[in-house]
Amino acid sequence: MDAGHPRVQGGGDASPLPKGTEMKAYRFFAYLIAVEVVLQASFIAFGVFGETKWIEDDGGVLNKAVLDADKHPTFTGAIGYGLHFLNGMMLIPLIAVIFLIVAFFAKVPSGAKWAAIVLLLVVVQVAMGLSGIVWLGPLHGINAFILFGTAVMAGKRATAAPASVPAAV
Amino acid sequence: MSRRERIRLLVALLATLAILTPMAVMWWHSRLPGSYSITAMGYEDTGGGAPMPTGHQMASVSVADLIADPHRRADVVVDLTARQQSFTLASGRQVRGFTLNGHSPGPQIDVVEGQLVEVRLHNESVRAGITLHWHGVDVPNAEDGVAGVTQNAVRAGASHTYRFVADHAGSFWYHSHQVSHEQVRGGLLGPLVIHPRTPGRELEVTALSHVYAGTATVNGYDGLQQVPARPGERVRVRVINTDNGATQVWAGVPFTVLAVDGRDLGGGAPTRDRIQLAAGGRVDLGLVMPPDAPVAVEIGGAARLVLGAGTPRPVPQPTRKLDLLSYGAPAALPFDPAKAQRNFRYSIGRRPGFVKGRPGLWWSINGHLFPDVPMFVVDEGDVVRMTITNHSGTLHPMHLHGHHAVVLSRNGRLATGSPWWVDSLDVESGETYQIAFVADNPGIWVDHCHNLPHAQQGLLAHLMYDGVSEPFRLGRDSGNDPE
Repeated sequence: MDAGHPRVQGGGDASPLPKGTEMKAYRFFAYLIAVEVVLQASFIAFGVFGETKWIEDDGGVLNKAVLDADKHPTFTGAIGYGLHFLNGMMLIPLIAVIFLIVAFFAKVPSGAKWAAIVLLLVVVQVAMGLSGIVWLGPLHGINAFILFGTAVMAGKRATAAPASVPAAV
Repeated sequence: MSRRERIRLLVALLATLAILTPMAVMWWHSRLPGSYSITAMGYEDTGGGAPMPTGHQMASVSVADLIADPHRRADVVVDLTARQQSFTLASGRQVRGFTLNGHSPGPQIDVVEGQLVEVRLHNESVRAGITLHWHGVDVPNAEDGVAGVTQNAVRAGASHTYRFVADHAGSFWYHSHQVSHEQVRGGLLGPLVIHPRTPGRELEVTALSHVYAGTATVNGYDGLQQVPARPGERVRVRVINTDNGATQVWAGVPFTVLAVDGRDLGGGAPTRDRIQLAAGGRVDLGLVMPPDAPVAVEIGGAARLVLGAGTPRPVPQPTRKLDLLSYGAPAALPFDPAKAQRNFRYSIGRRPGFVKGRPGLWWSINGHLFPDVPMFVVDEGDVVRMTITNHSGTLHPMHLHGHHAVVLSRNGRLATGSPWWVDSLDVESGETYQIAFVADNPGIWVDHCHNLPHAQQGLLAHLMYDGVSEPFRLGRDSGNDPE
């Protein structure tokens, strides 16, 4: 797409990587974050749906003891909770850190700034999720959309014509 | 490459290092040696009291020598044989776990206040090794059963004898403190009841609650256990929470809270509220059987003890929670907490980092991650005040070994009820408790969260008496893994 642009070409000449690799990596991680956010929403909905049905139709009892037991309730959708926690607490933060590092190398206009905002939003999202404060729940939901939007916007910057890059003369 | 390009690359590399270097350093420091002493862990916190003298010029007593009178004959002798096996719940459901004398929960140990108990523990087949901890009994340190701190784990084929004086009547329990996050949930536990010298004229019923592989049980019966009781009979129900989380307890008739954590409460009025029972905690409920109907004692809504004949109506969980801070008649404390020699802070948080070389979001104590946790130093006889704060987002049932502490306040509100003594205290996120105790039981005592996976994740500090030395070792090469 932008490979033919002279300025990018000029910058890529001395790089050990093929032309535009950093740019592609930046785009990949930005969109990966966005996809992960969508997955998070689907995981948690799966869990809540399954749990509600389990309690209402099967008379399942969920209390702290059951929650903390070695074997969690085995209703359909229970895995949604586990995936949401694992993905949200481990995988997404890891991807966000890698994204930021990639951003340092990719010549995306304000790329590092956008990646830093994504990481910050991820940190805020995890902190709210673990806060134990019920009223942060709605904000946790809203912040997911903000994170999604920010990641997509960041990804788009890596596809836009880099005309806004100051000429590397 | 142009000069500008080179600078750009350099900046990118430096920024990357700025992120990765602290992570690498944190990882490096979080690794634990193969074998280490708990006393080498973390940093000394003297709580405003005298620091420990350095060097070895001080006379010191080994943890292993802090035992009950070796010349006194045992009044009660119990043999317990532990096995790793599948066993059957009352319903016929098979679970894999651990048994004591072929059953889980293990047999109830009944003793009378003042008696010397001798328990001979035999490990027949538990591969990881076992111990027994006498939860809530303030035993001499060597009998506390914490692998790597007060003894070595008892390997398969080996035996170990515990001896202690049951010095305080109440409801207690015993459980393994080796790989406890697996062995306790797998059922290596049982009830221990210390009866008063003059027996009360009431029916005594134990209700030990445990979730086996997702199935809630009371005394090993899944769902429900029925116990005969006559109309008009006074009943004391000893509810024991052996799980990792708090549970709610309520009954079909008004009840009085007679005791919490093996310490009597005085002057409590009958209530219809629910009571929140911390993980590891016990509560004794007093109730009178109605003339014509059975009574259900509900534990968490998933298990119930039914007193009397017939099927009681299900009782919905009461919305109101009994507040022990203002329950019962106030009484004088045996010591003055205002004259504390040591003031400790046990602040529980949560932050990203590395524990035992693994990245994650870990519990922190006073801002530090395990093993960089405080060692609370005391002298024998000190009055100790501890402020426990929880800002970690989730509940932590805090359990101090070897001592009972009295609750002074919660969130700044002073305790006004009957003195509320605890060994297992639920501290919810956002709460601050101030507790106090007398350092009257020399040794090295762990002070940890009894949501046992949390302890395994590093929510464990310890109380260290000056002049006590540690002969046992923790770590993967030691064979001891208390949590």
